[in-house]
Amino acid sequence: MEFNIDELPVLFPYPRIYPEQYAYMCDLKKTLDAGGHCVLEMPSGTGKTVTLLSLIVAYQQYYPEHRKLIYCSRTMSEIEKALAELKALMKFRTERLGYEEEFRGLGLTSRKNLCLHPSVKREKSGAVVDARCRSLTAGFVKEKKERGEDVDVCIYHDNLDNLEPHNLIPNGVWTLDGLLRYGEQHKQCPYFTARRMMQFCNVIIYSYHYLLDPKIAERVSKDLSKDCIVVFDEAHNIDNVCIESLSTDITEDSLRRATRGAQNLEAKINQMRDSDQKKLQDEYEKLVEGLRGAGEGRQEDAFMANPALPDDLLKEAVPGNIRRAEHFVAFLKRFIEYLKTRMKVRQVISETPPSFLSHLKEYTFIEKKPLRFCSERLTSLVRTLELTNIEDYQPLQQVATFATLVATYEKGFLLILEPYESDTAEVPNPVLHFTCLDAAIAIKPVFDRFSSVVITSGTISPLEMYPKMLGFTTVVQESYSMTLARRSFLPMIVTRGSDQAAISTSFQVRNEPSVVRNYGNLLTEFARITPDGMVVFFPSYLYMESIISMWQGMGILDEVWKYKLILVETPDAQETSLALETYRTACCKGRGAVFLCVARGKVSEGIDFDHHYGRTVLCIGVPFQYTESRILKARLEFLRETYRIRENDFLSFDAMRHAAQCLGRVLRGKDDYGIMVLADRRFQKKRNQLPNWINQALLDADVGISTDMAVSSARRFFKQMGQPFRTKDQEGVSIWTLEHLKAYQEKKAEETIRELQAQQNQRQLMDAQANGNANGGAGRGDSDYEMDDDDEAELMALDHH
Amino acid sequence: MPPKSSSFGAGARAGTSSSGGGLPALSSDDMCPVCKTIRYLNKDMEFLIHPDCYHSMCSNCVNRLFNDGPNQCPYAGCHKTLRRKGFRAPFFGDLSVEREVDIRRRVAAVFNQVEDDFETLLDYNNYLQMVEDLTFELVHGTDQKRQQAEAQLQAWEAEHKADIERNRRAGREADDLQRRRIAAERDAARQRRIEAIKEAEEEKRERVRSREAELDSMQTGEAGGGGGGGQRVQLKRRGQVNKNTADAAANMIQDKNAAAAAGADGLGVGRLSIRGLKEKKRPPPPEGPYDPFGGLDFIPSRYTLEPKGTLNHPALDHWRLDQGHITGGYSFDEYISRAMFDAFAGLGVFIEDEKELGGQTGLSAGQVATIGGGIGAVGDKMELDAS
Ligand code: SF4
Ligand SMILES: [Zn+2]
Ligand SMILES: [Zn+2]
Repeated sequence: MEFNIDELPVLFPYPRIYPEQYAYMCDLKKTLDAGGHCVLEMPSGTGKTVTLLSLIVAYQQYYPEHRKLIYCSRTMSEIEKALAELKALMKFRTERLGYEEEFRGLGLTSRKNLCLHPSVKREKSGAVVDARCRSLTAGFVKEKKERGEDVDVCIYHDNLDNLEPHNLIPNGVWTLDGLLRYGEQHKQCPYFTARRMMQFCNVIIYSYHYLLDPKIAERVSKDLSKDCIVVFDEAHNIDNVCIESLSTDITEDSLRRATRGAQNLEAKINQMRDSDQKKLQDEYEKLVEGLRGAGEGRQEDAFMANPALPDDLLKEAVPGNIRRAEHFVAFLKRFIEYLKTRMKVRQVISETPPSFLSHLKEYTFIEKKPLRFCSERLTSLVRTLELTNIEDYQPLQQVATFATLVATYEKGFLLILEPYESDTAEVPNPVLHFTCLDAAIAIKPVFDRFSSVVITSGTISPLEMYPKMLGFTTVVQESYSMTLARRSFLPMIVTRGSDQAAISTSFQVRNEPSVVRNYGNLLTEFARITPDGMVVFFPSYLYMESIISMWQGMGILDEVWKYKLILVETPDAQETSLALETYRTACCKGRGAVFLCVARGKVSEGIDFDHHYGRTVLCIGVPFQYTESRILKARLEFLRETYRIRENDFLSFDAMRHAAQCLGRVLRGKDDYGIMVLADRRFQKKRNQLPNWINQALLDADVGISTDMAVSSARRFFKQMGQPFRTKDQEGVSIWTLEHLKAYQEKKAEETIRELQAQQNQRQLMDAQANGNANGGAGRGDSDYEMDDDDEAELMALDHH
Repeated sequence: MPPKSSSFGAGARAGTSSSGGGLPALSSDDMCPVCKTIRYLNKDMEFLIHPDCYHSMCSNCVNRLFNDGPNQCPYAGCHKTLRRKGFRAPFFGDLSVEREVDIRRRVAAVFNQVEDDFETLLDYNNYLQMVEDLTFELVHGTDQKRQQAEAQLQAWEAEHKADIERNRRAGREADDLQRRRIAAERDAARQRRIEAIKEAEEEKRERVRSREAELDSMQTGEAGGGGGGGQRVQLKRRGQVNKNTADAAANMIQDKNAAAAAGADGLGVGRLSIRGLKEKKRPPPPEGPYDPFGGLDFIPSRYTLEPKGTLNHPALDHWRLDQGHITGGYSFDEYISRAMFDAFAGLGVFIEDEKELGGQTGLSAGQVATIGGGIGAVGDKMELDAS
């Protein structure tokens, strides 16, 4: 399908288009034209990714700037999906245009997924793969080799050096598989191919972390130019990703290992002082001049990652008292000892960075400034010492990162020391949480650097929350409703059980047998009438376990068992994926199954229950966060103080975005259908916080109903859905062919013209009146007041009464 | 110079290697290297050190050995003479760091120049490194180097006395300022938190109040809620009728609404206007709790009783004190009130009138009671008039 939006020709790889896709493209184009950020909510299952890609690629190819697209997604499977869509799109474009465009699209993921080295790739943990790869590819390893020393290298990596640096891989779209295959054929490392080719790509698809985690972003994404278009897909959780990327937890064990790391460093320094004094001296001299000089900074093989540092800091020279290697190690040891002492305290402490620093200075004479340089200084030292077994120094690096962050940011962070794991624990297991409270800190560089950032997801309501929390302004902020030819999903809010008693998972009543029984009845009833698959979400593992055991005692599970297989999510990923597989089989075989899972677990985020894999989703209870957590409390307070977001508003927002995620699991396309049940009394008030497209489909008659009403409503729905339904019925309503689209565009254009004309008339009228006023002197522009007459009548009536 | 090792403390040293000066470090399952008491036996065991030699021992040992005046350190090979006064609890687990920090404290007191004192950043950094080098000599250096560094330190102190004093004062002020700032911030945060809580509570109360007000106005049905309903209705019909008729209509609907509201338990009916509803009778006023006496009250109206236990008349002593009367459950006050009741009973009952009323048939007990009450009241008045 081929059409124009304003002057921009868009090639859309399908013969039909959804109206909301078209609207989405228009808004996206507006954003790009205006050069600002936007937040867009598009119903799940309406082909968001392909819409996005086809518009942006069209935009890239049409305008001479050829703005690069950075597409960030959350999981590997989403990245792969996007790459596949891009590939199909480009194929379509080539066919349509009759020639192949100058275009390169690449996906990037961790070394673990892209490594080809026969022994390295067999490592289980990603960190080990990274570390081993680094020890094979570091700059000094190559130098050593050139000097004729016998060192291990990776041939896949070294082969890259023989190629033209800007043409490591031919044009085209490379899926991860394709990249691996190409790498194997040409004996070149796919990971470094992708990394090095990023500057020469039109589209890059990778995970959030490459942009948001300042420790990685600095190395991977530093060369991307300002006019890049950045897209965060599935961004409803983006604030948490930001926060996690800057928070660290320090335990006694990690401190112990950090001490060991420092001791190793010391030994290495002594060794080197005896054998290779010159290197240390070189480093020292470079440091005297300035940090950046020390090892030309942050190359791709940089050993350790550093957190975001303000630019002025990077230009400054390292403070004199940590310039010497041995001084620096002693400095680190002192800092670690201090932390160890703090960990001995047996009461909860929460502290702001400034107060931590002043206490630190009082007891150890460590100043703020050298602390800020800690992490850069460590990187430089590690490079000088040519250490290869980096994973041994990881805890030390963690402490250094913490030091740098705590000395850099006064606001937006908090230190929380929890001596016990839980309130009832007897044996202390202290953890020092250094927690970031402000999501805006991590994402700020992104907004500062790139002119257009698109934040989009299927469930990102309320839209205004995100700009508020992340500290940016939008040019477009839009939530699209879903056009449907038939009511293909049925949301309901069930607030009462079949005995008319209110149901809720609030703390006071959640374990009352009557509530549990009512939930059980709800489950049984829906298990009875739902064909094939059914998904149930609970607010937490704890609650799920307790309610399941209560159901067991009440014989409810036996009843459900008659209709469906019962499968349960566990915190263990492997077990869960096994359960999921069984679930799918049961759905396909016709036995049908219910999957009991947790609203904040893995299943609720990444796994689709399309078509017969999910005909009903039952959300038991509002999935609130655990509010007793001190970290959450601190964050709530911060949000209130800084962004004027009230505690309850945030908690409710957060609960509802998870609930919406759960609901969205069952509807993955316009030909799909399913029932969404929200079962809790408290949902009734939160209805407006649901995404627009769900809320619109939610009829008043289906709000606040009891179990039996819900069941009869659901029965009717399934009966309707069972009727034959052809694509043709949808045409013109929820699916447009090119003609529909053209007609719509014409209508739009006419409207615009009419509007313009009206405006013009108005202006003329006003002009005339203005003239009249000028002549008559006393007349007024009455037209402004005309529309207010009615209001006035109203006001008078009020007064009179 | 602390000795490199000692015969004590093997257990305490296990597992922790201290690179500093071969000092024993505390481990988690502490044992006093002097008396070999382990923490298992004495939970509150506290370790103390003396900054002369940094040998740690438990507080019991310290008391035992040093309470009677200066004594020699019990560590083998350590010949320092220590006083009780100098002992303190170490801040750090690693005693070599403890010692280092003590030295740093001394150095920091002397070398307290700040960046502003220097021409360039490089100068400042060189100065910092010089200080660090000196500190290192003091901490890790050989005897000779240490003495040299010590001498340097003292020389510098003598040379820059004025500067040091000035910087010390400035530093203290800056520290004070900083501390005050942190405290002020904490206070402000607390204040804000309290306010936020208050605000939330106020809001909640406001919500409850407004809901109650709404309910109340619906219940009474008159001015408040009904009026509001009327207004709203009127808004809907604006422009259709002139004001007078609108008023009239509003009043009428208002009445209807009030009736409907009262009938429907005060649910949100006030704002609906349904035309063509049948005129309903105003339901009887809500009933209070059941009163078996139909509103009669038993407070004597023709006489007043003294408050209990205060009536004290020699003529009554007989009834009060006579053992012959008094049995379990007997109460003098009760006796008096019964006596008075008997004396006045029947006054104000007019047999003739009673006869007439009694003739009417079908009176319920309640009505009789009411009538009786009414008569009683009339009787009261008569008596009042007479007196
Ligand atoms: S360079 Fe590439 S192939 Fe070689 S070890 Fe590293 S990731 Fe693996
Ligand atoms: Zn002892
Ligand atoms: Zn001693």
